[in-house]
Amino acid sequence: MSDTELRPKHIGARVKRVEDPRLLTGQGGFADDRISPSALHIAFRRSDHAHAVIAGIETKAAAAVPGVFALYTSNDLHGLVAPVRATSRMRNYHPTDVYPLAHGKVRYVGEPVVAVLAENRYVAEDALDLIEIAYQPLPAVIDPATAVEEASPILHEEAGTNILASREFARGDAELDMTAAAIRVGGRFRFWRKTPLAIENRAAIGEWDRGRRTLTLTLTTQIPGIVRDLLADILDMAGHRIRVVASDVGGGFGGKASLYPEEILVAALTKKLGRAVRWTSDRLEDLASTSQGFDEIVDAELGVDAAGRIVALTAEVVGDVGANSIYPWTAALEPTQVISFLPGPYRVPAYRGHVRAVATNKAPMGPYRGVGRPISTFVMERLVDMAARRLVVDPAELRRRNLVREDEFPYRVASGIVWDRSAFIETLDSACAAIDYPKLRREQASARASGRLYGVGIATYAELTGIGSRISAAPGMPINTGTETATIRLDSTGAVTANFGIASHGQGLETTLAQVIADELGARFDDIQIVHGDSSAVAHGTGTYASRSAVLAGGAATQASRLLKEKLVRAASHLLEAAVEDIDVADGRVFVAGTDRSLTLREIAKAVYSEMGRLPPDAREEMEVTKLYDPVFGTTSSATHIAALEIDPKTYKVTIHRYVVAEDCGRVINPMIVDGQIHGGVAQGIGAALYEEIIYDETGQLLTATLADYVIPSAGEVPSIETIHLDTESPSTLGGFRGMGEGGTIGAPAAIANALADALAPLGIEIFELPMTPERLFRLIEAAKAKGA
Amino acid sequence: MTERHLVKTTVNGVEYERTVEPRLLLSDFLRQELGLTGTHVGCEHGVCGACTVLIDGHSARACLFLAVQADGSRIETVEGLGEVNDLSPLQEAFREHHALQCGFCTPGMLMTCVDLLRKSRLATDAEIRDGLSGNLCRCTGYEHVVRAVRAMAAKR
Amino acid sequence: MKPAAFDYLRPKSVDEAIALLAQYGGDAKVLAGGQSLVPLLNFRVVRPSVLIDINRVTALDFVEEHDGRLRIGAMTRHHTLETSPLVRNRLPLLAAAMKHVGHLAVRNRGTIGGSLSHADPAAELPLVSLLFDATIHTNARSHAARDFFLGPLTTALADDELVTAIVLPAQPPNAGWDFEEFSLRAGDFAFAAVAATITAADGKIADARVAAMGVGETPLRLPGVEAALTGEPLTCKLVAEVAQLARDAIDPRSDLRASADYRRHLVAALTERALEAAWARTR
Repeated sequence: MSDTELRPKHIGARVKRVEDPRLLTGQGGFADDRISPSALHIAFRRSDHAHAVIAGIETKAAAAVPGVFALYTSNDLHGLVAPVRATSRMRNYHPTDVYPLAHGKVRYVGEPVVAVLAENRYVAEDALDLIEIAYQPLPAVIDPATAVEEASPILHEEAGTNILASREFARGDAELDMTAAAIRVGGRFRFWRKTPLAIENRAAIGEWDRGRRTLTLTLTTQIPGIVRDLLADILDMAGHRIRVVASDVGGGFGGKASLYPEEILVAALTKKLGRAVRWTSDRLEDLASTSQGFDEIVDAELGVDAAGRIVALTAEVVGDVGANSIYPWTAALEPTQVISFLPGPYRVPAYRGHVRAVATNKAPMGPYRGVGRPISTFVMERLVDMAARRLVVDPAELRRRNLVREDEFPYRVASGIVWDRSAFIETLDSACAAIDYPKLRREQASARASGRLYGVGIATYAELTGIGSRISAAPGMPINTGTETATIRLDSTGAVTANFGIASHGQGLETTLAQVIADELGARFDDIQIVHGDSSAVAHGTGTYASRSAVLAGGAATQASRLLKEKLVRAASHLLEAAVEDIDVADGRVFVAGTDRSLTLREIAKAVYSEMGRLPPDAREEMEVTKLYDPVFGTTSSATHIAALEIDPKTYKVTIHRYVVAEDCGRVINPMIVDGQIHGGVAQGIGAALYEEIIYDETGQLLTATLADYVIPSAGEVPSIETIHLDTESPSTLGGFRGMGEGGTIGAPAAIANALADALAPLGIEIFELPMTPERLFRLIEAAKAKGA
Repeated sequence: MTERHLVKTTVNGVEYERTVEPRLLLSDFLRQELGLTGTHVGCEHGVCGACTVLIDGHSARACLFLAVQADGSRIETVEGLGEVNDLSPLQEAFREHHALQCGFCTPGMLMTCVDLLRKSRLATDAEIRDGLSGNLCRCTGYEHVVRAVRAMAAKR
Repeated sequence: MKPAAFDYLRPKSVDEAIALLAQYGGDAKVLAGGQSLVPLLNFRVVRPSVLIDINRVTALDFVEEHDGRLRIGAMTRHHTLETSPLVRNRLPLLAAAMKHVGHLAVRNRGTIGGSLSHADPAAELPLVSLLFDATIHTNARSHAARDFFLGPLTTALADDELVTAIVLPAQPPNAGWDFEEFSLRAGDFAFAAVAATITAADGKIADARVAAMGVGETPLRLPGVEAALTGEPLTCKLVAEVAQLARDAIDPRSDLRASADYRRHLVAALTERALEAAWARTR
């Protein structure tokens, strides 16, 4: 047996998480847990108008409340902090200026207008009541379909239009090819607005070191590096004087992946006042002001030939991006992804997709888990099922005929994206096998025969993950999201510390990256500490978003580990008096192969750093390596979801009986964590499909203002979810990893929608909008019954 | 100004005395007055369950309970369950089954489970899911939480 | 989301509580389980100047049986009602209804007196009290349940009046019963619910009680449905007919979750299920 085979393999193992003991005992370090005894607490008076000019603000009575320190309006911040502008090289894009407090006018209900600083949050809220704001209401722009019209009132006068971005992708002459299709299916699809809804509300705690004039911002963020870089610009401070820390973050899902006005205000006031300032939002603030997602109208048509082959696809998309173009992702991010990914994992010879990102008087739209692809997958998978129904072909079979085949990779999608080799057809076959698809169809037939509304829905999708420097996370965005840095260090005690720019917030990256390093470096898993969520950890970092961290940080960790291992081996060759080629590292020991001669990492560290004379001076190296990894294009992840569900024919309550996910996320680092990501993603997709909807009325008032009204699934609404991992190593990334944090949410809405449509097929009902609430089912079924009668 | 009240309460077996405003919520009292930040706050209207603690042995929302009401009461929080290097069996089951991701809802989830394991049959997954339905988790999709509770219920 | 300031008083007896209520009247709020009141305080929707905490009035925490009636103290928690052997034996419908009230942590705190006084039109206890023609006792007088609920969050209680107990007749041992509720998510407030009891004699319905909630300003008895059932055997045809009667008897509002039409549809569906299940349970 060789030494290599003896080496403990961490990658691929179900390693228990490093993070858990502290989180299970209440010893985590979430932002609001930060103790800052003399901090001033902020509460915001937020706009109760959707669109209005601020005519005057009266704060005297509020300022007189005992315990109130100060109040700030936008005018008070002049010269203190510059507005933020999410720029882009994209043509037809209009950036918007975002101020920490509403400047001149308000554009959504919940926009911060006045900040109160007080000795505690209770007193700050007392003062909020006493602030008087005079508004001159403007017409509210609520319906995105009318917001695009020239006659619509405009949110941003300097843009001159509500269409903040527009784009088109085309291959071939889709309109022409469509006319030649044997069958054409399509319609207007509507995916209603959601909010990421992390259970931890957003918080920011600013602290100022008076001696060093440095700012530490403890923040609920996925992007500490991006926040640090921008604050350095707008506060005109050197980056090393600002540290943004996000140690434990209570879920993000994209909602903590943008820079927020409140965070800028906390940083600016901490600097101005030279003392600690803190803000912890409540759930009302979260629902009204955290970035929202997934709000699109898609008019789409699919043409298929008589043999069931896709010939053309067209789509006209309007994305409702809310009040501002969010930093750094811009208003283009979510809507553009819808047309980028609409062709999905299929051969689509002719395609035209056009999108407009439209400003309305709602909270700004930002990234939410899946970004655009839950919508593109919903639409495309519905179209495929509608075509299958028309052709009287089984939906699984129609997918098989159109999925990109093994011999066609790399495949260039009609929108320009390239799929590297991924297990498209295999995920479909595996999911069908796992759920015993033929048997399921037989069960459905007998259920249907007895009058039950039982449906089976399939969704197959592909996504681009772990994207590198050649593809911007958002179109034209001038920020590099395509690289990741690892600094791995063996210190003088023999402990290994690995610093990254990522910011884990539930993904378990402290565990999975330590698994990678343990295998690549040969250190003991328990001796490795992962540092993340800290802008001072590496020279440049952005954070964790866009299913990137396992791929990018895993790649950087692999490279840096290998180089550090070479250094260890070189030092050991002197200490053990052996040739470099004969030395290996495993389980925290450096050893000469085939002998009992070895040193622990601790012994090597002491010899290198502390015990002068043990190494020749020119052989003494720092035991630290920094490596930047860039996957350049990224890689493809794919999956097939199958849902079997039933609609109560009397109450229209939906019960999901079975749910299977077969996915290809490349080489699996930790199957337990991958399962957890899938389960959580699917639960959010079920929420998106059946329960969740942010609702504004026609005047722009937020109706889903509490957690009783914005309904996310509880344990009772989520079924047991079965998973199959195909473990197909990515040909494009170091380590063969593919990203998988978002996939669950991408596939589930489509699978549920198709299962609902399948259940309702006997009534001739198709599903064009989500969430399909009991109320919407009621209306669809009543209308179908009335038509039938 | 309203009158402040003396509160004598036992939290995780330790007696505390503090003078508080009547309106101070138990969740804020634990976190800010006592520095017990393991109890998390998610909605302050009784929906999410993140702040669930035991009051005189019964699970309750700390955001719907005033600190003054705790006078003379026995409060148990996640900090009382186990230590980082000595997890309780329930905490260990959560770790073993990967029943937590970001860990923010976890303290409330654990305290609910303590009460459920005492009071509920938990004989089927449906009963377990019903028991957990007052604690919202956005990360796990609940599947692994169900498995952890199932394992604990079987051990009773 | 922090409450506005208030003073806090903690009486130990009913008399003490009443005296404080008389002193502060409309400026005071009674704090029982707090599961409805404290969210409203946190939202600052309710801003009492004084909070009278009756959780130490232990004399109001009891469940007892006298002459075929259950007398339940106002400070009895929902969880106690759900699990009390006496309630489960004598009023199984009440015990079953309690399972729909929030979640364990809510049922551990919420009280019967609090629920009745709060009078949420989608709450279970008001519905059950109406179904059984309960008597609601206060320090001053007693109210028939049918006269107690005046509108959403509105009761016949005077400012200085405190619910002390509710008296309900035990269900006849041979009576069939059922409680059907529809909510979007487990433990949420109901879109609609229907409760029914049926006593059968000679294969026919001798007595039927049917009530609905979540579909009006207050919980509602459905006398038309009850009358149509009485004296008849429960056939599929009759079920469909009375479900239609139930649908027509209510005038629900549309809200964020459900339209008036859907609520009417639900009440018909739940009525059918409740009657079928109750009939199946008759002996």
